[in-house]
This record gives sequence, structure tokens and C-alpha cells, in this order.
Amino acid sequence: MSHLTRRYGAHVAVDDVSFEVGKGEVVGFLGPNGAGKSTTLRVLAGFLGPTSGTVKVAGHDVVDDSFEARRAVGYMPESVPLYPEMRVVEYLRFRAELKRAPRGKRAAWVDDAMAKAHVLDVAHKRIAHLSRGYRQRVGIADAIVARPPVVVLDEPTAGLDPNQIRETRTLIRELGREHTVVVSTHILSEVEACATRVLLVHKGKLLAQGSIEEVRAMRGATGIEVVVHGDAAAAERALRAVEGVRDAARADPDAGELVRLGARFAEKLGAPERAAAVERCVAALVAAGVGVREVRPAGGSLEDAFAALTHAESESGGEP
Amino acid sequence: MRGFWPVYRRELFAFFVTPLAWALIVVFLVVQGMHFFLLVDHFSRSADAGMGDETPLSAFFGNTVLLYLVLFVLVPPMTMRLFAEERRSGTIETLMTAPVSSPAVVLAKYAAALTTYVAMWLPTVLYLVILGRTGALDWRAASSAYLGVLLVGAAYLSLGLCASALTRSQFLAMVFTALVLLVLFVLGVGEFVTREGTTMHTVCSHVSVWAAMNDFASGVIDSRRLVFYGTLTVLPLYVATRAVEAWRWG
Repeated sequence: MSHLTRRYGAHVAVDDVSFEVGKGEVVGFLGPNGAGKSTTLRVLAGFLGPTSGTVKVAGHDVVDDSFEARRAVGYMPESVPLYPEMRVVEYLRFRAELKRAPRGKRAAWVDDAMAKAHVLDVAHKRIAHLSRGYRQRVGIADAIVARPPVVVLDEPTAGLDPNQIRETRTLIRELGREHTVVVSTHILSEVEACATRVLLVHKGKLLAQGSIEEVRAMRGATGIEVVVHGDAAAAERALRAVEGVRDAARADPDAGELVRLGARFAEKLGAPERAAAVERCVAALVAAGVGVREVRPAGGSLEDAFAALTHAESESGGEP
Repeated sequence: MRGFWPVYRRELFAFFVTPLAWALIVVFLVVQGMHFFLLVDHFSRSADAGMGDETPLSAFFGNTVLLYLVLFVLVPPMTMRLFAEERRSGTIETLMTAPVSSPAVVLAKYAAALTTYVAMWLPTVLYLVILGRTGALDWRAASSAYLGVLLVGAAYLSLGLCASALTRSQFLAMVFTALVLLVLFVLGVGEFVTREGTTMHTVCSHVSVWAAMNDFASGVIDSRRLVFYGTLTVLPLYVATRAVEAWRWG
């Protein structure tokens, strides 16, 4: 995908995004809601045309060779739209035929997709009667039923309960063995759980991309939160004096004996340096004579990662 | 025509799995059955009264608003969900990201609606069989009457499908289709209120479904009517295809 731009009228949903996904990768497409994830995936799946730029799937251009490009992609939209009046197996047979699965192998492929997506037990139920979790899995079965080289799943865990989320992530990892998988999400830990590589998007732009380890590093705490017993002012002074701490302040000004304080690290610290800074903070507090009751890493959310990234990029002279 | 057959079969399935289809067919057959009964009753009472050219056949298909009313009530609910429902529920996204071509999808949905329409009319052939057993029946006039029914239905269904492709709401699609059919009908009625020889009169008599069915029911196949209903079928299908393609870029 190179220089993809997609506009809706005057609104630019995706702005000059370029990336490549290698064969057999599981790529997490990460960004907050409204970042342009769905739009990008829709272009990839051939539902929307690019305003400018070129998108190729398995060597086929989505505009010039739309038919072959769409054949190469198994796509599950965010809302997992299905036909409620059909039974699961009827629906998947219809989809397999529509996606031109070879006639003789169609039934076998449908069974195989149902087994992989764990929907065999509801094969003869009407889709209207399925729970959210099962619908999602039928959607995934649909995406893989014609055995496309590329599988694109838009927010596959949205609206699921924690158990189902865990199962879906396992399923995505399993899919990664046979397909190239592109998964979008706004949850960082989700990418950590199932992707091998991450693309970070924000406001239609590709902010950063990297391996899962690099993202783990980004996720590192940007500060700590401590609860101490004793002199709040002394604790604050002690924290400020620690090397690597940018600033420190009381989090709740009028809370009796126990005082909650927040300290933020300087942004250029790497993960090991931050860990060291945490140790220094605790030591400084103990030396200042205050009792430390709790120490917790603060930040590390997606928003913090974005903040850190945009900051880092503008410092290095690049566009945020 | 990539994807024509699976979409065609799914549309038929979707139509007949809902109670709506069966309700429509029952209403249709009850109305047509009563119509036929009344006609036969009427003709048997006044057999000697000298009816001129009128036969039960020509009266069943032509010279009546009943055929039009039936279409007016049946077509909008038959076509309203074709595209509007898929867009509302989002299934259009999975449909169009499969390797299918837009004309194939439009034609498959249209063919499914037309098949249903033909299936609704099929039982009425029985009436002709009954007429044929009790008296002389002009099978050629009957065939041209059914051709008329097919042509008018094909055009109306095409208009309905187009309306469904232009809106996300089934209700709007239904209302819009009904409005267009109403305008066509009103224009047709203009045949009787405008003076002969004026342009308006010519236009109205061409559009009139009444006049058209009168012709077809008495065995007259006028090429101008073929062209008119052919155009009314092809044009909305073309517009619908363009609309489907436009969603990718809109």
C-alpha cells in the first residue's frame, strides 16, 4: 500500500498512508476510534476505492485488478454483518460459492472453516438466534472459507466478553500460521497478544510501525504513582530531586495521613532507564523518611504511547 | 456475470423464507380469484346481451384498474428490501467485497424479483384452462396478455429495484416506488381527460398502462409498447448498477 489517501467530501479519513505487509505476518492495525483504521481496511478489502495512491493485495491492484484482489482477501467488517434468516452452514456455503471456492471442495472447505472458527456446534442454527460471540466467529469463518492468502479482520474482539476475547486472540494467532492477517483494534494489549508487527495510526496518518517488542517498549510506564505515609512536602521534594524525574506533584491535596503523589519521567528515558528511575524514586522516598505504602506504574495507555510518539517525532524534526 | 447464481438463489431464499412473500402471494391470488369469479359470473348472466368484442379473457387483463392496483400494492414491498436492507444491515459490505461484479449483483436481485412475480401469476393460468374447457379460448390473445403482464411487471420491478438502490431505508424505497408508479398511472389516466390530437394526449396514451393492457389482452402487440416497457426496464437497472458502483467512491 503506498500513499493511500481517502477523502469523504472535504474530510480526509486516511492521509498518505504507506505500508507493506509480508507473507505470513500478523499485523495489528492500532489506533483510537476515528483514526482511519476501518477506512483503510475497507480500501484493502475493495469496498471503497482510494481517492489517490495505490493499493495492491497479493500483487493485484484493488482498482485495476479489483476482482483478483478481492479474491485474495477474506474480510470481516467491524459490525460483522450476516443474513439473519440463514443457517450458519447455508450462509457459509453461499459465501464459499460467491467467493468462487472450487465446486468439488466447497463443502469440505466450509466444514474446515467452521472447525477452525469453532462454530460446528451451531452449524444448523439460524444466524438470528446466535449470540454476539458466535456471530463474530461465523464472521471469521466467512473470512477464511475460500482460503484467501490475506485475512482482514476489523475489530474482531469488539463487544465480546473477556473469555471470548481470549479465544478470539488465540484463533487469530492460529490463523497467522496459514494466512497473512491484518487485524485492527484500539486496544494495545490486544496487539501484544496476537500480532507480530504493529502499525500505529492516528488522525488518518501512519504514526509509527514496528515489531511487537518496540511497542512493548513504548508501552513502558511514563511515570509512577506512590502512596506515602508522612510528610507530603518532603516526599514531593525528594521525588523532584531524583535523576530522570521531570516533575512530581500531589495527586489528591486533602486526603488525611496517606498522600498520593504522581511523578513523571523525562520522555527520552528508555525502558531499562525507567526501571532504574523507579528504584531511585523509592530509595529517595525512604531516605526522606516517609513510609511508602504503594508504588504503581502510571501511564502506559495507548494515549500515553501516542503522546510519547508524537512528541518524539516532532523532536526529531519529523512531522507528528 | 460473476456471482449471479449464488446471489440469485439467496435472494429467492430470502424472499420465500419471510412471511411477507407468502402473505403477498395469498392476497394476490385471493384478489385475482375473486376478480375471475365476478367476471365469469357476469358473462354467464349476460351471455345473450351482446357483449361485442369483450371476452372474459380481455376483461380479466385489460380495461380494468384491478391489474394496475394489484401491481401498485405488490411491487413496492417486493422490491423495497433488495438493496436498502443490505445497506442498512451492512451486508452490502461483505457482498461487494466478495469477487462479484456490480451488474451481476443487480441483475441477480432483479431476476429473483421477476421470478417471484412470474411464480405469483402462474396459478392464474388455471383460469384459462377452466375457460378453455367451457368454451372457445384464443390462446394467442392469452399469450399476448401474459406478455403484457410480464412487460409491465418487469418495468415496475425494475423501477422498484432502482429506488431500493438509491436509499438506505426500505420504507423510503417503498414510498418512492409507489409514487413513481402512481405518477405513471396518473399520466396514463390523462389519456381520458386530454383532447385527442394534442401532444399531451399522445404522451399519455403511450404511458397508459390501461391502454397497454387493453392492447395486449386483445392480442395486439404494438412495438411502441415493447420499446416503452423495455426502456422502463433497462434504464432503472442501469441507474441501479451505477449507484452500486458509486458507493465505492461516494
